[in-house]
Amino acid sequence: MSVAAQSRFHFTQAVADSVSMAGRNVRRLSRAPDQVMFTLVSPVMFTLLFRYVFGGAINGLGDINYVNYLIPGIAVQTAIFTSGNSGFALAEDRSSGFVDRLRSLPMARGAVLAGRVAADSLSNAVGLVIIIAVGLAVGFRPHSIPGLLLGFTVLLAFTLSTSFLFALVGLYASSSQAVNAATFPLIFPLTFASSAFVPTSTMPGWLRAFANHQPVTLVIDAVRDLTLGNVTASQRHQLFAGQSTTALVVQSLVWTAGIGLVFGFLAVRRYNSTTS
Amino acid sequence: MPSPASPAILVESLVKTFKGNIRALDGVSFSVPAGTVLGLLGPNGAGKTTAVRVLTTLLRPDSGRAEVAGVDVLANPARARTLMGLAGQYAAVDERLTGAENLLLMGKLTHMPRADRRARADQLLDQFGLADAGRRTVKTYSGGMRRRLDLAAALVSRPPVLFLDEPTTGLDPRSRSDLWAVIEGLVADGVTLLLTTQYLEEADRLANRICVVDHGRVIAEGTADELKSKLGGTAVEVVLADEATAAQAGDALDHVGNEAPVVDGTTVRISTTTGLATTAEVVRRLEHSGLPVISLQLRQPSLDEVFLALTGHGDLE
Repeated sequence: MSVAAQSRFHFTQAVADSVSMAGRNVRRLSRAPDQVMFTLVSPVMFTLLFRYVFGGAINGLGDINYVNYLIPGIAVQTAIFTSGNSGFALAEDRSSGFVDRLRSLPMARGAVLAGRVAADSLSNAVGLVIIIAVGLAVGFRPHSIPGLLLGFTVLLAFTLSTSFLFALVGLYASSSQAVNAATFPLIFPLTFASSAFVPTSTMPGWLRAFANHQPVTLVIDAVRDLTLGNVTASQRHQLFAGQSTTALVVQSLVWTAGIGLVFGFLAVRRYNSTTS
Repeated sequence: MPSPASPAILVESLVKTFKGNIRALDGVSFSVPAGTVLGLLGPNGAGKTTAVRVLTTLLRPDSGRAEVAGVDVLANPARARTLMGLAGQYAAVDERLTGAENLLLMGKLTHMPRADRRARADQLLDQFGLADAGRRTVKTYSGGMRRRLDLAAALVSRPPVLFLDEPTTGLDPRSRSDLWAVIEGLVADGVTLLLTTQYLEEADRLANRICVVDHGRVIAEGTADELKSKLGGTAVEVVLADEATAAQAGDALDHVGNEAPVVDGTTVRISTTTGLATTAEVVRRLEHSGLPVISLQLRQPSLDEVFLALTGHGDLE
């Protein structure tokens, strides 16, 4: 075999192995749907809490309906929450010895991670659809279908990249319980010190500086801008620091790609160097 | 390419030190000729599992050499993985998949042609007595069934070399002997097997040769019989009613065996190389003495005794 033909063969095999692993993971998830559902419990509770309890007291939105402001934030929070499953599942497979078995097989090494993230992205997509449906039920009205679909695409890309982040956590953690314990302090500041629930303009200056420049806010703002549609110049100034839709989408995609590449690289390296 | 004479498994001077300066492997060497079974016997923490992890490409040693079917596992791990099967201490099968799904997944990941996977899975389920359970999720299996499926999963691609790391640890006696029968069947088919165990009975029954490992070193090697004979071979043991009569019997049996009889409480031990003749002489003299004998037996030392003598601690846990 020529070098080119050989590397093509390796690549095809790596894809086939990833598909096999993704198939196994999806089958596993489908046999314990409660595991996926439980991760949706807190986003649903946040939806109800902020829509009906705190929502009335939140200012600084002008004539934008709070529920339309809130749901994109909840959706991004959901994308992060559910991607934590990647770390949980990897830690589970490590402690059960399944990863050891896989590592002794003549399969592509990257397939374990690729198959994990692919399967989880699929189940995260289902989770996002459910959360958006809950949003619609409590009054969320996206401006247009194309806007919603574009926003959904941004969300999917983001959940894919955060899956790699949590996969890395799952490869370091000593148990699946430890993954759970580690994800909460990771998720909490990123989702609350963001524009998810309240406009950052109401925050103290030091917090606003952080919130405005961290990736979760940028992704939320991009999705929010796409689903609100027809944002006026003054609203844009107030909510998005005057940035255009394109600028928000491009920045969130750059962050998404960066997070995915950095943590994907670190996770692959960690997987190849660890022994269980 | 491996030469025909090269062993199926070869390990030379393996050293592996873990964090905290724990020397798990301290220059281990052994080899397993093709088609035979080597039992790695030792207490927990002796380095058995570490040696298996090096051989199965899960762990890189600090130094030393390891080969499987003539392939250097350190230089060419990808190739080595196509030649081996591993069944572990913790039954590493997917609980939420069915038995058949587990085996089909192994078929996919070892790149078997699609048409062969189903047939191979069915054949293995049959062979391991799991045909009826094959469509159930593994969660519903008993411990013994899981171990059998775990073993089957290691065999899907018909690897010529098999590593079994404590295959029966934690099983009940019935499941253990079922699994032993299955393993004996594999060996009869010509598989080369490296088996780690802390059960002497298991090594005695399954292994052609035994390496006793302790503190990361091979401290004895040979067939079960060779190891036992190192401890003085066969002995006649006579148990008497009390210590006084035992002492009398000891006097009466002087000069029967190769060495002077050993009296220990109510037991008299006479070591021998000519088992039956010595036994006959012992019986004749005891009859003559009229001492009240409770029991008399001709026995080999157990591997447990060998182990105790070799490691000096006999601590199997």
